[in-house]
Order: sequence, then C-alpha cells, then structure tokens
Amino acid sequence: MSMRPVECGACGNEVLVEKRSLPHTTVQWTRPTDRCPELAGRDSALTAVCTGLRSSIERAVREGTLEVGTDAEPADGE
Amino acid sequence: MSARSTTEDHGPRRIEAGAPPERYARGWHCLGLASGFKDGKPHGIEAFGTELVAFQAAGTGELHVLNAYCPHMGGNLAHGTVKGDALACPFHDWRWAGNGKCAGIPYAHRVPPRARTRAWTTLEENGQLFVWYDPQGTPPPEGVTIPRIEGAFSDEWSDWTWNSIRIDGSHCREIVDNVVDMAHFFYVHNSFPTYFKNVFEGHVASQYMESDPREDMTAADTLSAQGRLRSEASYHGPSYMIDHLWTEVGGATAETVLINCHYPVSPDAFVLQYGALVKKLPGMTDEAAAQAAAQAAEGLATGFEEDVEIWLSKTRIDNPLLCDQDGPVYQLRRWYEQFYVDVEDVRPEMTDRFEFEIDTERAVRVWRDEVDANLARRAQSAQR
Ligand code: FES
Ligand SMILES: [Fe+2]
Repeated sequence: MSMRPVECGACGNEVLVEKRSLPHTTVQWTRPTDRCPELAGRDSALTAVCTGLRSSIERAVREGTLEVGTDAEPADGE
Repeated sequence: MSARSTTEDHGPRRIEAGAPPERYARGWHCLGLASGFKDGKPHGIEAFGTELVAFQAAGTGELHVLNAYCPHMGGNLAHGTVKGDALACPFHDWRWAGNGKCAGIPYAHRVPPRARTRAWTTLEENGQLFVWYDPQGTPPPEGVTIPRIEGAFSDEWSDWTWNSIRIDGSHCREIVDNVVDMAHFFYVHNSFPTYFKNVFEGHVASQYMESDPREDMTAADTLSAQGRLRSEASYHGPSYMIDHLWTEVGGATAETVLINCHYPVSPDAFVLQYGALVKKLPGMTDEAAAQAAAQAAEGLATGFEEDVEIWLSKTRIDNPLLCDQDGPVYQLRRWYEQFYVDVEDVRPEMTDRFEFEIDTERAVRVWRDEVDANLARRAQSAQR
C-alpha cells in the first residue's frame, strides 16, 4: 500500500490518500487548504473532514482508481 | 525502516531512546489560572530552564511576567514586593515595571539608562495566564493565539477547577503522544474507544474520539465514567489542549470543557496542569455545577495519574515500533517538531494538513470480547 493522488471534485486540489481498509483513511495534503471551500480559514484542524474531498475519495474507491488494502500492513515508517 | 517481511529475521528491534531536545517549544504556554496570580504578591515560576516571576500591577490590574533574577545584583524578585505598578526587589528595592524597564531606584539620583530586564509577552484568556516562549525572540505571529472558550465567561457554566503537578524525569513529548494513542485509552484509562481520527494542520493538532465506558471496570476507574462520550480535543500550539466533551447521562447530554496543558521546567521535567468547566444542566444550581466540575476534575486527575505512572517507568523512544491499528505517531511528532526548530526551518510537511482515521473494527471486536470475558468471570465468581 502507498499514498495515491486523488483529486477533489469540489475544488480540484490533489491530495495523497491511502486506504489500508475501507474504514481506514490517510490523507496527506501537499499544499495549504486555503482554496478548499470547507476548510479555508484559520485553525482548520478544528474541522474533521472536507465532505467534498471525502466523496471524491469514496468515488475513487468505487471506480477502482484507489486501491483498498485488505491485509493491513505495518504502519511503521518514516 | 519498514519491516515488510515476517519470514526474514531482522533481529530484535533496538530502541533508540535519543535525548530530549535542549531547547523548549516555541509557543504560548499556560502558567495557571489568572486569579491565582492576582493576590498582590509576586509568584516565582520555574520554567524554560530559568526562573520567572508573575505579578499583578496594583494600579492597572494587569498581569506581568519578568525574569525572576534582578539584573542589579541578582536578587530574586519572586521574594520582592509589589509597589504600585512595579515589582520591588527584596535586595536593594530597585523597581521593575511590567515592560521590563527599571521604574526607579529610591536611593539613586538616576536610573541607569540601560536598566532593563526581560519582560515576557503575556496573554490573559479564558481566565488563564499565558506566556509566549520563542528562543529567537520573535513575537507571536498573527493567528497563533489561544482561542476563547465561551463557557469560561458564561453564567451557564461552572467555574474552572484547576490542578497542577510537576513531572520529573520525563519530557513533555510523552503527554503530546497521547493525541494519537487510541489503544492506551483502553489499557491505561479504562475507556473503550470506538471511533478515532486525527487531523494536524498548521499549529493545531486534533483528536476526534468516541468512546464508551468499560463495563468491566467500576465507574470510578473510568475516564468516561457515565456513558457514551464524544470528544474533540485540539492542541493549539505545543502545549495547550482544549477538549470539548459531550457525555450521555440518563437521556441528557452533559457538556464539559477540559484543559490539558503544560510548560517545560527543564529538558526532562514539566508541569502538567488541567482543569474542567461544566455546563449547567437545566435547573442545576451553582453548587451542583461546581460539584459536577469537581467530579470531572477528579476523573481527569485519575486519568493523568494513570499516564504519569506509565511515564515514570517507561523509556523515551524515538523509534516506536507500530502496528496497523496504531495512530500516526511519526506524523504527530513531525507536526510537534515545528515548535523545536527556528521559524525559518519549519518545513511544509510539518504544517501541511494530515488526516488519519483509524479502522477500529478489529480493536472494538477484541476489546468487546475481553470486556465480556471479564464480566462473565465476575458473574461466575459472584455465583460461587
Ligand atoms: S539585586 Fe535587585 S535591587 Fe539589587
Ligand atoms: Fe493518557
């Protein structure tokens, strides 16, 4: 498993996503959230999720462009 | 460092304990309830590897924080006296204003023009006193502040409870690690997490958690003593966490705000402080609200005692060996690192938004079984 780019259908921004299983999600942004309609503004870590991005991730899973892990692999990294 | 194969023998994992950083985290640090410093006396504080003194100017009512040692001959201002808006040194009565300037030397013709001590940038918010720490001496950037907690200013909420404990022999990273540590809530705090997500962005690190009490533990032992609990907790900077909690108690939802904050004393000692605010339920008297807050504080105290016991016997570990159900410890530490480097060395990956939602399915199933087995064992021994 590794991080795969997913484009947000709402704002066009691209993030890196990993899904080790259906319930698990890792999202790594590589630029500021200031163009995201749901997160832009201060202290956006106080918002748990951008729903637009979440549906784009779910769509990528449904369409098979984002692979979902089955056998979870070690999280140890860095 | 990622060990993919289980058949290959990599030998035993070697713990890298590393050494705690020599420097202290840049950011706002809460020193305690503001009211505690408003008794007309100077208060000595051991922090950031030095001694500070906090006092209230008698005229303006403002709180100030200065270096404790007087630049004249080194007297300790914490043993001095508040005189007007200045703090007088116990040694030769030099007067120090809140901005660090020498405001007078009664026995001298004139004050030396360079007579100035260090005044720390302070902030009073939520009924608490904060100091800004930055080894580079830069003032807090706009937007890096302590958010206002409405409950701290409302009659519909209780007053703060407040506790303070000094931890020797541990670096404060230990408590920050808790942000991502879902499993320890089950094993250390007798609570049963069912949902767990982290978000880090900028100078804020959040933990979103839902948990149940562990039915196999008596209520007094649990962090979420009463019922299902929803928690949204965020560190605003390196040391001040605001935790909003919603607990289901007998059909109603109780709202609580917890503060979990600390300031470093030395590279391996810190002062942990925590407090609680409780929203009054309809018809609740002030006394009942105070009691509910005290109860929340007690639960909190128990929780921290459980953490402290672990810290006192554990080792520092820079290379934790993680499993698939652990939270993002390395990414949290990457976020935390931003406070330990110079501003110009903060890299985007330390502050870029990062989200991690744990798949709790397996943990919940295994924990359910463990709780059920404990309950069954208890029922059996009760029958005998
Ligand atoms: S040392 Fe403070 S007045 Fe002399
Ligand atoms: Fe803990």
